[in-house]
Amino acid sequence: MEIHSRPADPLSFAFRALGDPTRRAILARLAGGEASVSELMEPFKLSQPAISKHLKVLERAGLIEGGRDAQKRPRRLAPRAMKDVADWIEPFRQQWESRLNNLDAHLKKMRNQEK
Amino acid sequence: MPSASIAAPRTGLVIDRASHTIRLTRDVDAPRAEVFEAWTSPEHVSAWWDPAGEPLAECVIDLRPGGAFRFVARSHPEMPFAGVYREIAPPGRLIFEALGATGRVILREADGRTHMTVEIACRSEAELDQFLRMGVDAGTARTLDNLVAYARRFAGAA
Repeated sequence: MEIHSRPADPLSFAFRALGDPTRRAILARLAGGEASVSELMEPFKLSQPAISKHLKVLERAGLIEGGRDAQKRPRRLAPRAMKDVADWIEPFRQQWESRLNNLDAHLKKMRNQEK
Repeated sequence: MPSASIAAPRTGLVIDRASHTIRLTRDVDAPRAEVFEAWTSPEHVSAWWDPAGEPLAECVIDLRPGGAFRFVARSHPEMPFAGVYREIAPPGRLIFEALGATGRVILREADGRTHMTVEIACRSEAELDQFLRMGVDAGTARTLDNLVAYARRFAGAA
């Protein structure tokens, strides 16, 4: 992640963008393929201005990209964000590592209680 | 909860693209009957399922083929891990469906230790990619939380 090459404090943009459940859901939708504003309005039951506002926040965070015409141009995950997808596997693995560490510890406790 | 062990045991992760399967492997120091029990009784699952180490807010297990299960973590009550059991074959095999994928827990024992394989089989390569992108057990929010944590670590290291 070339965060230092992005404009001022991109992390706070990213955190702000990811902090909202609707925007996370929009990202999930775009991970499955690009979509226009009108295509996003339908599943999220939001007005065009509301969707556009969310998209603007995601764009500022560098997570998605698209044209200037907020009403027609399809949006998609930004290539940089897509590249970072590969990095998401590591948190996934770590999540399972934590879970199975818990299981390991729990099994030890089970054995001790038997004795 | 797991102690802050430095030489923590490792979990293997393999992505098998040909069979659209994510395969996690782990050796645990317990006979497989106990491991199977830990996977299938609510009191035990509740104690270890949440990676955050907190007991589950809700853990319902109807342990029979076609029976439903539902694990709800305190940190993410909005995204339960829920599904249906397909095959219950103690002490070696447990098969379930959840979140559009098939989960298999395969336990092999040697010298009182258990080699555990957890497979998450998706229906297509596209779904596998989607699954990895979204995070397997908690959907988007969890994965994006991970991304945030990742970004924080990155920022901390910079």
